[in-house]
Parts: sequence; C-alpha cells; structure tokens
Amino acid sequence: MLRNKKIVYTAAIGLVLIVVFVPLPSLTLKGKGVVRSTMAPAERGASSVWQRLSEATAALRGIGGAAEKNRDLSHELVRVQAELNRLRDVEIINIRLQRALDFREASNHAMIPCDVVSRNISGWWNTVRIGKGFKAGIKENRAVISPDGLVGRTTEVSPQTSEVLLISDPACRISAKLNRINVFGLVRGAGSTLKGHPKARMEFINKDAEVRVGDEVVTSGLSSAGGEFPKGVHIGYVEKVYRDESGLFQYAEIIPRATVGLLDYVFVVSEAAMEDAR
Amino acid sequence: MKQRILMFLMISISALLQQSLPSWPLFGGIKPPILAALTLHYALRRNNGDMWFAVFTAALMRDGLDIGSFGPALIAFPVIGYFSHRIRNEVFTDGLVSQLFFGAAIGLFTTFVTLLIYTATGQRPFQFRLASLRLFGSIWLGMATLPLVSLTINALENALPKRRRYGWQ
Repeated sequence: MLRNKKIVYTAAIGLVLIVVFVPLPSLTLKGKGVVRSTMAPAERGASSVWQRLSEATAALRGIGGAAEKNRDLSHELVRVQAELNRLRDVEIINIRLQRALDFREASNHAMIPCDVVSRNISGWWNTVRIGKGFKAGIKENRAVISPDGLVGRTTEVSPQTSEVLLISDPACRISAKLNRINVFGLVRGAGSTLKGHPKARMEFINKDAEVRVGDEVVTSGLSSAGGEFPKGVHIGYVEKVYRDESGLFQYAEIIPRATVGLLDYVFVVSEAAMEDAR
Repeated sequence: MKQRILMFLMISISALLQQSLPSWPLFGGIKPPILAALTLHYALRRNNGDMWFAVFTAALMRDGLDIGSFGPALIAFPVIGYFSHRIRNEVFTDGLVSQLFFGAAIGLFTTFVTLLIYTATGQRPFQFRLASLRLFGSIWLGMATLPLVSLTINALENALPKRRRYGWQ
C-alpha cells in the first residue's frame, strides 16, 4: 500500500515537471483553451454585471445614457481615426511617389470590436483578455487598438477568447517610427510606474537622429513578431532620450497613450474581417 | 459531491475575483493570492480527497487563465496543500496569528516558485529590484488575503444549511 502511494506520488511529480518544463505549445494552448472556454461565460457574465453596475452608478450621478452614447461615439472615433491614419499614409505616400516614381504602398485594414472581459490573474504579465477568439477571426500577433492608439498585440488565441499582450509588457515588441523625422526603432514594454501608468521604451534609434522630447511615436507598418500591424497607429510620445551604452544607438522612454481598463472595448486589426467586409 | 460542487464554485468565483482586482504597482504588480489562500483554507479543514480536488482545480484555473506555460501554480499549490494538510492537527487554523503567518508563507512561496519557473524557462526577464519588490509585496498581500478569505468562506459555509441525520436543518 505504502509502495503504491510512493509510486503514485512519484508519477504525479514527474508528470507535473514534464508539463512545466517540457515545451509543448500546442498542447498547452489546448489545455488553456479548455479552462478559458469553461470560464468564458462566467467572465462575460461578471463583466456585464460590472458594466451594468458602473452604468447604474453613472446614471445615479445624473449622467444616465451618457455611457452608451460615449461608447457609440468612441466606436465612431476609432473608425475615423483609423481612416485619418490611412489618409495620412496615403498623403505621405503621394509625396514620396512624386520623389520616387517606383514607390507604391497601400494599407487597408478592418477591425473586429471586442470587449475586455478580464485582467491578468497573477499580475506577472501585462495582459487583458478579450471576449473573442479565433472563431471570430482573430489570429495571433495582430494589432489591438483603442480610440487612444495602440494597446498591444494578440497572443494565445483560443476559440472564444484571446489574450492581449499590452504594450507595457516587456515581451511586447513592436516595430515603430518617430513620425516627425521618419526614423525607425523598436518599441518594447517597460512595465508600469508606481502610479500604475504603462511605460515603454523605443530602442535602436539611429544615433545621428535628432530626437526631441514630445516627438510622436507611431507604428511603422513593418511586420512585428510575424504579425501584421497597420501603419501610423499612434503609440505615444517621447519623454526622455538616452544614448545607448555602446554609443551606436539612442533609446527613448515613451509614455503610451492607450491605457485599457477592465470594462473597455478594443479593436483587433484583422485581415479576415477585411475580406468579409468586402 | 455537493461539497465538491460548492468548492468548485468557490474556486471559480475566487478566480474571477482575483482577475478583476487591480494589480499593485507598489508590490511589483502582483495580485492578492486569493486562489492560494483558498487552497490553504481547504487543505487545513478538509479530508485528503477534497484537499487534492481543491489543489488541482485551483492550480489548473490559475495557470489556465494566466499566459505562459502551465507551472507556477501547478507546482506551488500541491506543495502548499500537501504540507499544510499534514500539519493541520498541530496548528490553530482559525487563530489570527496562524493565519497571518500562513498567509505570508503562501504569498512568499507562490511568488518564489513563479519567479523561479519564469526565470528558468526564460518567459520573464529577471530584474533584481522588481523580483525583491514582488517577494516583499507578496508577504504583505498574503497576510492581508488569507484571514479575509478564511473569514468569508467560514461565514458562507455557516450560512448554508447543514445536513444531519434527521435531514436538512
């Protein structure tokens, strides 16, 4: 009996160690998909309860109806901003085409609106979970934007939910450029301040570029982590500029403008949705 | 069976609550260890079968809802459950001092295991200042969480009707 118990314990410990240390991404994602799908209805329920509570509180404060109107207007705003970004790109492209005749580029993305249903459970990652997954056409490494700009990118997409790695997470790396001087770099998350505001860093900026505090940082449109990011989406503004220890590059601390709360909604940029829209 | 369904519901609600709570930048961004506290609560008060049920349900939920590989809770929670279950007859489980001590211990242990796994597997960059902040913060968060979780679960369980020989009372 005692021997059997020992065998069971040893086997259980062995199994746990295999699960933890042997990388099996597809199996892990399937396992997580089961847990997340089980919890998704409860998360949505809890999220809608919170939403109703916050709307009821707002109504009690005398601004009833403003929440819905605000949401609709913000939906409209993000679409208009995306259109504006596209037109801005088109304008820049036109100018460049006049200079270099062979240059041609087009950017056209559709967006999938999603509700944020929960935050990260441990606090070790800067992520939020959105209430749509690959059944809604979401894929990994897609840009996630809000009316304020880039929020992050999708990761670990399950059938009904997707994790969004926020721009402040150190694992989130996005190809970006300084809009004023058209200099490229890589934006990487740097956690958050003591007040909870997200921080990020733009690295590998050309050492000769004249970077100024307050310069706008936008997505470059180059492929990031195998995904596709739209061009010209606002990320944030430069707060401080430093020279790299090697002296080969500069890096800048940036303040991302888009912060996302539990009851917010975001848009996932999707090629599939664009095709459907056509 | 009803007992386990109730435990499952409590663990699910705790997971939702832990997710909804904001992270604490002052403590390195970590959250109150509600699921770990619940695991400890059940390990100190229930039989072996219920303890393992609570341990694995809470661990799978915590790791399943988090990103990265399965691991931190899948290693930490069984250890917490196993050792606390072994010493359950030698401690005053409802004493405030015991709960503060256990709360600090589970907070610190869970954070330490998470740190170890994330660093060993390269999922999170190791930063000494942030790691110290998280370890230190987890002690305080654990101490604050366990007594509250215990009090809530005890109050809820006392509020539910209990089945005795004569039926429901």
